[in-house]
Amino acid sequence: MQKFAPSVLVMALGVALAGCQDNGPQDPKVSINKNPYPSTYKPLASQSTLITNATVLTGTGERLDDADVFFVDGKVQQVGKDLSVQADKTIDAQGKWVTPGIIDVHSHLGAYPTPSVASHQDGNEMTSPVTAEVWVEHSVWPQDPGFNRAREGGITSLQILPGSANLIGGRGVTLKNIPSHTMQGMKFPDAPYGLKMACGENPKRVYGRKGVLPSTRMGNMAGYRTAWIDATEYKREWDKYESDYAAGKNPAAPHRDIKLDTLAGVLEGDILIHNHCYKAEEMAMMIDLGKEFGYHSGTFHHGVEAYKIADLLAENGNCAALWPDWWGFKMEAYDMVQENVAIVDAVKNSCAVVHSDSDTTIQRLNQEAGKVMYRANDVGYDISEQHAIKWITSNAAKSLGIDDKTGSLEAGKQADVVIWNQNPFSVYAKAEQVFIDGAKVYDRNDDKYQAQSDFMLGQK
Amino acid sequence: MTKLTKSLKLSLVAAGLFSATASAASLAIVNATLHTSTEQGVLEGASVVIEDGKIVAINPASINVDTTIDAKGQIVTAGFIGTMNQLGLVEVGAVDGSRDGGDDKAGIDFDPSLAFNPRSSLIPYARKGGITQDVIVPSGGDSIFAGLASVVDLSGSFESVNKKQVALVVHLGEKSKGSRAMSMKTLIDKLEGEKSAKKDDKKEPSTEQKVLAAVLAGDMPLIASVQRASDIYELVKLKETYGLNLVIHGGDDAVVVADTLAKANVPVIISSMANLPGSFDSLHANLANAGKLEKAGVKVIIGVAGDSSHNVYQLRFDAGNAVSYGMSQQGALSAVTSNIADVFGLNSGTIAKGKRANLVMWSDDPFDFKAHVSKMWINGEEVSTEARQDKLRDRYTTDSTMPRAYTK
Repeated sequence: MQKFAPSVLVMALGVALAGCQDNGPQDPKVSINKNPYPSTYKPLASQSTLITNATVLTGTGERLDDADVFFVDGKVQQVGKDLSVQADKTIDAQGKWVTPGIIDVHSHLGAYPTPSVASHQDGNEMTSPVTAEVWVEHSVWPQDPGFNRAREGGITSLQILPGSANLIGGRGVTLKNIPSHTMQGMKFPDAPYGLKMACGENPKRVYGRKGVLPSTRMGNMAGYRTAWIDATEYKREWDKYESDYAAGKNPAAPHRDIKLDTLAGVLEGDILIHNHCYKAEEMAMMIDLGKEFGYHSGTFHHGVEAYKIADLLAENGNCAALWPDWWGFKMEAYDMVQENVAIVDAVKNSCAVVHSDSDTTIQRLNQEAGKVMYRANDVGYDISEQHAIKWITSNAAKSLGIDDKTGSLEAGKQADVVIWNQNPFSVYAKAEQVFIDGAKVYDRNDDKYQAQSDFMLGQK
Repeated sequence: MTKLTKSLKLSLVAAGLFSATASAASLAIVNATLHTSTEQGVLEGASVVIEDGKIVAINPASINVDTTIDAKGQIVTAGFIGTMNQLGLVEVGAVDGSRDGGDDKAGIDFDPSLAFNPRSSLIPYARKGGITQDVIVPSGGDSIFAGLASVVDLSGSFESVNKKQVALVVHLGEKSKGSRAMSMKTLIDKLEGEKSAKKDDKKEPSTEQKVLAAVLAGDMPLIASVQRASDIYELVKLKETYGLNLVIHGGDDAVVVADTLAKANVPVIISSMANLPGSFDSLHANLANAGKLEKAGVKVIIGVAGDSSHNVYQLRFDAGNAVSYGMSQQGALSAVTSNIADVFGLNSGTIAKGKRANLVMWSDDPFDFKAHVSKMWINGEEVSTEARQDKLRDRYTTDSTMPRAYTK
């Protein structure tokens, strides 16, 4: 009986305090600023631009031959044949191909920049298996020369993610690939945040060595579930605060926890899951984990075994962001097939994405997609260029929750556009001109439009 | 050769008792577009005849062979040769027990070819890229000397090590701890030590002594993995002092001293895809470098960067990118075939009489994604490009009422 005494006392006190707070004038409402590091990105000055006579892959699955693309004030206005419009600037793209700006959903540029010296290793907060409190944008070094190299490969938007050492590694951030000397100057306005999760070998290896959970795959699952339980309770506290306050009461605001802010943001649907997960059985469990706690399991990244559960991914509305051919570097990457993307893509309502996770292949996502297209067609698929381009444009935009803004050449979309010297799925293809929000940000033949990072300036 | 000896040889091969280099059947590939990797360049509508694992004729007046294959105009190249990886020495990078490329105690006399596994799943996969041979190298240990390179073929045979101990590999340049000058001193001390050693005729020299003697004689290439221009420049001076057969591997900044390298006749094994300043040693990495080195007159070998054991099949795409950024088509082809044969003294890498019959027929331009291997031959034997990956794909794309495990 004695055991009960303290808790009875606490309960009584709790009731008394709550009673006190519920009455009388309301204190100012406590609310959380969900955007404390806001984007300061402003599109560069642009002219109305008409690109003529190109082979246009719209990103919506269409191909238009000898077609024109017209953009004004940073937005696509018309795409079609023989447009009769007045443009400040007309570019004859005879023999060239035009696509939406390329989007990479998985990059560590800025957080693991080059030069990859020890003091630049800012992508993995390897001190606890759940670090939902960290935001990778706080690690981004905007002078990473890799941003410029990626732009030269047609990358106009990219998501920077924390690494995969942790079960929950922290927030990702989506950037416009625009040169800037602040992170905020690159931040994609109104793009949702991502949350990086990781399955499999990495978390259990990193923390198993330290003798803390997880050291096994079952430990991984326990770790996520514990975190989501905490988040669920935290959200309940805040929801109660909100509803009590709205009811005219004067509740005490819950103690703020930035780790749980982020997890609660997922439960509210504001933050999208980006889950490093290779294996079929693990992805299937991560889908159920989302259902257990009432959030959507989002995009699976790397997904070397996604082809084994292509139907499950489509049924549950998961995007799968995949490589064409990386394999064998660890056990969970052993079962690669070169047609992975195509097999995932072939299911109705699928969302197949080709991603890089690399500061080199991000420069050639067109080639990475090309590898898949041709290898799949070798074994009987019938994938066209206009379809394959979706893997690195509109499907990628969907994965990031920015498909209402970019990822296709449709009227009203942001004019993120690439002019290629030829079919972009050839090894010989090169981005010749790149536009972000209608402004030219790269021109292969004009040094004036070739950005150089502070780090490279003056190096001999 | 009589039918009798032929079948005897075949049965020996089947029993695994005979070298796979012996192939009795004669074969002609006709109506091919031969990219010879020689001064002959490209031969249209050409034929090549293979016997006993060797190329015996190109465009002969008459052909009398067991099998004739009509290439229907398709491109035929010499098999591509990978370099500087641990093919057959690793199965899964992060699985310790499957990794035999390096050892803490490795040094000048470390020869990992003793661990070469021709049954590795990486080998059939690499064949998809038209790779028929590979220069395997030790990955390194505590010493600056990683050990000895060997050349293997991708036949899958237990006799696939073609040539052992073809080069000594030394790691120089940037260090995580200490000075690069100490690494250079270690190298110089070893060379000096061997040079000034009193030869004892009664005592058999150690492997290390033999290797160093061959390096000093210029018989065995010394592959220096190094990026920075100043380090490369120092090494060229060392080459001149000791008469070394120096090969630069890495060479992100080699372009800065391209003329020096050309003049000193130093080949460079480069990744044509390197274009980021990975460190302060690599500030000049650029997609145009392979082409620039070629133009300066340097013998260029293209190698796949990163995990080149699992990804060596991509070599042809790296060559394509090199062309895209300024290398000649011929130069890029040589950079994945004949230049490697030249540097390591291999009887392959070209389509020429007397060469090992390592040949690949391509559905299209071998450097572009649209092409795949139509057929390929190693030591005159046709080999398959089917790999474990194809089995997995078929299992998961074949309808069955039974669990996938029953689809084999």
